[in-house]
Amino acid sequence: MLVFIARRLVVSVFVLFAATFVMFVLATNTGDPLADLRELPENAREAAMAERIERMRLNLPVYSRYFLWLGGALTGDFGVNRQGQDVNVLLTDAVSATMQLVVAATLLAIIIGIAIGVVSALRQYSGFDHSVTFGAFVAFSLPIFWVGVLLKQYGAIEFNNWLAQPAIPPLVIAVVALLAGLAWSSLVVGDRRTRIIAFAGAAAATAGILTFVSVTRWFTDPGLGPVVVAVSAFGAAVGFSVLISGPSPNRPMYAALASAAVGTVMYFALSPVLADPSLAVIGGLALATVAVCVALGYGIGGVLYRREAVATALWTGLFTGGVIFVDRMLRSFASYSSSMQGRPISTVGARTPNYQGTFWELSLDSAGHLALPTLALILVSLATYTRYSRASMLEVMNQDYVRTARAKGLPERTVMTRHALRNGLIPITTLAAYDFGTVIGGAVVTETVFGWRAMGHLLLTGLNEADPAPVMAFFVVAGGAIVLFNMVADITYAYLDPRIRLS
Amino acid sequence: MTTHHDAPPPDPEDGTTAPGHPDPDAAAGLNIAARTQWQLVRSRFFRHRAALLGMVLLAGVVLLSFTSIGFGPVPGWWDKSPSATGPLTDGGDPTLSLVPRFLGGAGLALGEHPFGQDNVGKDYFALTMRGTQVSLTVAFLVGIVATVVATVIGACAGYFRGWTEAVLMRLTDVLIAIPLLAIAAAAAKIAGQAGIVYLGVVLGLVTWTQTARLVRGSVLSLREKEFVEAARSVGTSSVRIIFKHILPNTVGVIIVSVTLAIAAAVLLESALSFLGMGVQPPDTSLGRLITDYRSAMGTRPWLFYWPGLFIILIALSVNFIGDGLRDAFDPRQNRVRD
Amino acid sequence: MTQTPAIPPPPGPLPDPVLGAAVTDAAGEVHTARTLSDAEAPTEHEVLRVENLSVEFPTDDGVVRAVRDVSYTLREREVLSIVGESGSGKSVSSMALLGLLPRSARVSGRVLYRGRDLLEMRQKELRSLRGRRISMVFQDPMTALNPVHTVGDQLAEAVRAHSLVPPRKALERAREMLDLVGIPQAAQRLRSYPHEFSGGMRQRVMIAMAIINDPDVIIADEPTTALDVTVQAQILEKLLEVKDTVNAAILLITHDLGVVAGLAHRVLVMYAGRPVEIGGTDDVFYRTRMPYTAGLLGSTPSMTSERRERLRPILGTPPSLINLPRGCPFSPRCPLADATCRSAEPELVEVDGPDSGHLAACHHSDRLVDVADPTTFFRNGGTR
Repeated sequence: MLVFIARRLVVSVFVLFAATFVMFVLATNTGDPLADLRELPENAREAAMAERIERMRLNLPVYSRYFLWLGGALTGDFGVNRQGQDVNVLLTDAVSATMQLVVAATLLAIIIGIAIGVVSALRQYSGFDHSVTFGAFVAFSLPIFWVGVLLKQYGAIEFNNWLAQPAIPPLVIAVVALLAGLAWSSLVVGDRRTRIIAFAGAAAATAGILTFVSVTRWFTDPGLGPVVVAVSAFGAAVGFSVLISGPSPNRPMYAALASAAVGTVMYFALSPVLADPSLAVIGGLALATVAVCVALGYGIGGVLYRREAVATALWTGLFTGGVIFVDRMLRSFASYSSSMQGRPISTVGARTPNYQGTFWELSLDSAGHLALPTLALILVSLATYTRYSRASMLEVMNQDYVRTARAKGLPERTVMTRHALRNGLIPITTLAAYDFGTVIGGAVVTETVFGWRAMGHLLLTGLNEADPAPVMAFFVVAGGAIVLFNMVADITYAYLDPRIRLS
Repeated sequence: MTTHHDAPPPDPEDGTTAPGHPDPDAAAGLNIAARTQWQLVRSRFFRHRAALLGMVLLAGVVLLSFTSIGFGPVPGWWDKSPSATGPLTDGGDPTLSLVPRFLGGAGLALGEHPFGQDNVGKDYFALTMRGTQVSLTVAFLVGIVATVVATVIGACAGYFRGWTEAVLMRLTDVLIAIPLLAIAAAAAKIAGQAGIVYLGVVLGLVTWTQTARLVRGSVLSLREKEFVEAARSVGTSSVRIIFKHILPNTVGVIIVSVTLAIAAAVLLESALSFLGMGVQPPDTSLGRLITDYRSAMGTRPWLFYWPGLFIILIALSVNFIGDGLRDAFDPRQNRVRD
Repeated sequence: MTQTPAIPPPPGPLPDPVLGAAVTDAAGEVHTARTLSDAEAPTEHEVLRVENLSVEFPTDDGVVRAVRDVSYTLREREVLSIVGESGSGKSVSSMALLGLLPRSARVSGRVLYRGRDLLEMRQKELRSLRGRRISMVFQDPMTALNPVHTVGDQLAEAVRAHSLVPPRKALERAREMLDLVGIPQAAQRLRSYPHEFSGGMRQRVMIAMAIINDPDVIIADEPTTALDVTVQAQILEKLLEVKDTVNAAILLITHDLGVVAGLAHRVLVMYAGRPVEIGGTDDVFYRTRMPYTAGLLGSTPSMTSERRERLRPILGTPPSLINLPRGCPFSPRCPLADATCRSAEPELVEVDGPDSGHLAACHHSDRLVDVADPTTFFRNGGTR
């Protein structure tokens, strides 16, 4: 196994070197690097051109320039761009901006995509499945920049306008409620009666919530409040227990409920700490949550249910923590919004320049900038993950060992999670690892639409100015990520599949 | 339905062979009229409703774009040209009406400028049609070039093994290591000025990698098959074996990847043009139109919607066709009907 | 057109029971295989009764009638073998008992386990029977075990699905079972993954899994088909042995008549989804009353025969289950078929007098009575 990884690594490094050369040659040939200087008045032209020729080593042949660049790059120096700016500095900023954008988007796309794909497979040929399949095809066919511009128009400009007077028109409420009803009724298994009940229940609940939001002008000063926090914590406790250990009340469910109760108490108890915490405090609280939940699960689960109880308690605890976090952020919304002149959703860049505020306000600022590009990025990769996980699940569900698991008398839930899902996720995990590598280089269009000065900016200005240094900096990071994550994909695959791990 | 190849559900019996291969003719003790692979593929494809819809839509878009404003020296039936400016009518609002009169609309009518006009009075229908022509041409070129390169490289790597394979596959790895958008943008930047044919060919030359891997995989398994052994044992030349015995059996993989490559190419070309790296003015493409008019989103939204709609229409219909072809060539994937 | 064969030759060779003779195993150790006569006899109590079981699959091409009107009973400690070609519906019918068919399958009839109808049961109730009262051994041990969990986990899971025991106890039980089915160093092997076992060992694991909860009925679906010939006998022997350990009845599904002879108390022969002959093993083998059974016997090679007899295969292929031929489904391949056979499907009726328990579905079963070796009907390939 180790030999295999080492061999892969060596080959990958050589491949990467070869790729840098190809890219370098392409980047130096995208145009005339002196084009803008030729427009200068005669007296200034000569000197400016001489200076740039010197800086970009244009008097040397391409391969010499490549090796000079390579020598620098190997020591961690990516050189200067056409204007003489240090590319290393540009790169550091660009990488951090791009990472902010793609990490959240990719993680969300993976989680949501797998969930939808798995449910779609479990309900194969249902209305839900057909809609998901169709939706995925549409998403595959969407030009992302077009979606980006649409999102800017409706997700930001129109949405901000609407926030001034956040009432939801009855027609919109009706349509959304109808769609929610259809979605739920297509998900439940059962006869016509069950479906109608699901439809009516979901539609009524959606309509109720939306009406409440509209009538109370919830969006002018949003927040979840203790009731919603408590209800979602206990709801999550029950939900996770049903998923993990089955619907009857048992020890894992008690552990989850205990963890929800602790979470709700902490909502009040930690109020002063949470007024304006630092990132370290939030991190510490997250760790404390994990510790407390594991302890709860371990204690309550007993010998019979230890593993399940720890899982339910932990998931419930983390979920409750997340809800409290969101609640805190929402409660800062009004003050943040007013400091943004009532336009909290932004269309340009990664943050509001020179903005000062509490932890929550700064988080909101990030969220407001991240929301739309993240949505655009999710939309496309979501479709991929949905299709893949659906196909993978369908394949696995027809395997003999799933039938064996059923014949053993395991509950359907265990059959699906321990046997089908566990195997179905192996190829998806590999795909996700691989995808993480490509996404850094793949966010260029989205970054451009939303005016982020990130990796895409480096690439595009470099290409437009026939300036190889920023292009190569982009490439080393993006291409390096591809090569690295390709290897990660292989290793995770081997780790998850004992047939490969042990051979 | 009469095909008997996606036999009953998941081999309800024994897992060895499908139960009693439902061959009605054989059951009656008669001879079966053998159906060729192509007939099977065709009948399975025509059962795929989305793929049929995709065919119709794509044919419609191709016909509409090429007949309306004509191409090359051939004149079209639409009387306005994509480059001519004119007086703005009604602020450039689209005159296309689809709401019948009895529903309070203006009836089914094209009007003077069905897709509206831009701010200098160019007819947007003509512009969109020109953009569609360019995007389609580039996409098809990319699809064809990428597939030809991929097939040759994949087939050689898979058949000859040894050094040939090592070199070709490392070459593929090198190209894969470069983010597609980066290499495509650089290539398009270089070729964009030279016209759309060059653009299509160059993009094709950088997007063949995944297909090449697929073709190689399928050739690798085919070269071990008995019929190839047989051909080799009677002294058939390698070239002949590849072209006569191996490639015809990978045709499913190849055709499916052509379609998917075309769908991806539509999106790639429009993204590059959007970034200013693809089709250069005065020519235009659907992506170019969106980038040119995206600031008009607030004032003349139709300038933004029409090209987007056509991109989606083309990509979606090609994707549907690809899905239908995949099912037709590889019925294993959706054999289970429960 | 059919010809009545001339005077039948003396009885031809019958297939040898695999378990009949001493078997030399891989290690070169000779051990005498136990046969059915060593096993405990069945009691009079019925444990499973199947009545008019039918299974249909709707497909794009039409409805596949995989199983039609199958009825049989299984008594405690009895071994009943269901025999038939691929596509005869034998596996589907057994899978239908436990509701393991794909959702699209339409199952009708009754499956009574100690008087309770499995087909009418709620999922939860049926689940508590699966693996507990009725367990299964599948055909291909290579794919029937989950590759990502250890063998111990998969066995322990079966225990914990039906009783509240701590994981450690369940693993201990798993180890006992591995010992029982003859897997050496069971304690270490618990931590191994399925791919680290050979095919025969994996099938032993499957048997261990099937008996781990002391079931009443073990459905063995071609348990040896995917194995090496040398291993087959060991596995069958092990199956018989554990049957007695847990006092279970076995429903043995196979296409191999050689397996049946030494192992089953009774045999049910299926063709085109339907039982065509059922009776005691000796009745079916030596007093065959259905040409199809005779054809099967004639196409089974024999090693003991002194004379090198040629095999007498049945020509043709089984019919399409979507478009069943009119009349007897075997008529297109049957050397005895006449106009009656091609127009009316024969009923399954008692053929050795009332209460013999020997039934066959053939218009011409009486013509087989006088023939010493009915396989000779298929001489010359049973040409019509």
